[in-house]
Amino acid sequence: MPIWEYNCHMPRAKTTLDVFSAIGEPRRRAIIEQLLPDSKSVGELVDAMDWPQPVVSKHLKVLREVNLVSERREGRHRYYSLRPEQLQPVQEWLHQFEKFWGGTMDQLDVYLQTIQSDEKP
Amino acid sequence: MSTQAIEPSVIVREFKAPRQLVFDAWTKVEHLDNWMFPMPGATCKFVAADIRTGGSSLHKIAMPNGFEMWLFTRYEEVTSPDKLVFLQYFSNEHGDILPSPHIPNWPKDMLATLAFEALDANNTRLTFSWEPRDPSAEELAAFESTRADHPKGWGAGMDQLDAYLSSMQG
Repeated sequence: MPIWEYNCHMPRAKTTLDVFSAIGEPRRRAIIEQLLPDSKSVGELVDAMDWPQPVVSKHLKVLREVNLVSERREGRHRYYSLRPEQLQPVQEWLHQFEKFWGGTMDQLDVYLQTIQSDEKP
Repeated sequence: MSTQAIEPSVIVREFKAPRQLVFDAWTKVEHLDNWMFPMPGATCKFVAADIRTGGSSLHKIAMPNGFEMWLFTRYEEVTSPDKLVFLQYFSNEHGDILPSPHIPNWPKDMLATLAFEALDANNTRLTFSWEPRDPSAEELAAFESTRADHPKGWGAGMDQLDAYLSSMQG
């Protein structure tokens, strides 16, 4: 499906917050990277990132709101895990562009062959 | 630019043509109208083109099924014959960038960086890197300000995600 059709059919919430806006923030991407190998507590994230705890908590909250991160309690601690399958729409969006530009470069190849063979005697 | 912050997607192609010709194909309307579309049977028409650093262009792509799309392009760098950087947006026929009314926050624009490399007199390698980009000032500032904090960038994580998502689809 070409991207322009795909865009129209993608179910999107009519809010300003979604997975695209969530990962538009570089610090949230940094948190996602931290959570890729395995889940971490806020304290562990604070240590790993060297950011103030409220900053980490604020961004975790956004990531949870778009379901990119889930929370689980273990005793007094809360652990946060990445749900990378939620990034699928981003991945698909990238693939659409790849198809579009890949196809366009095929046309360039054809065109370059054509004009160069025309130029030859 | 911000290529360190987001790992761009890259398409590498080699063309049997001199570098200057490949570059001109991307920057001269008499070439562009003949190939700048994603599939055979589509057409392309540039209605405005000021293709130089700081310039812009507007073109229409008509698909074989009749679907038409307008694309507005802002050129950040045009350095013949080796580098081209542009931002491209879905627009209307006047070149007004569309605010994606149906889909808030859809990343509607793209930053493309093209490097043209002469392999020899008649062969050119084109490296096309692109990344979705929300061009708001806040975003740009955020990118720049966090680069020092996060020198490794998004790349390592993206590779893993890619592997993960691919394995899920396979």
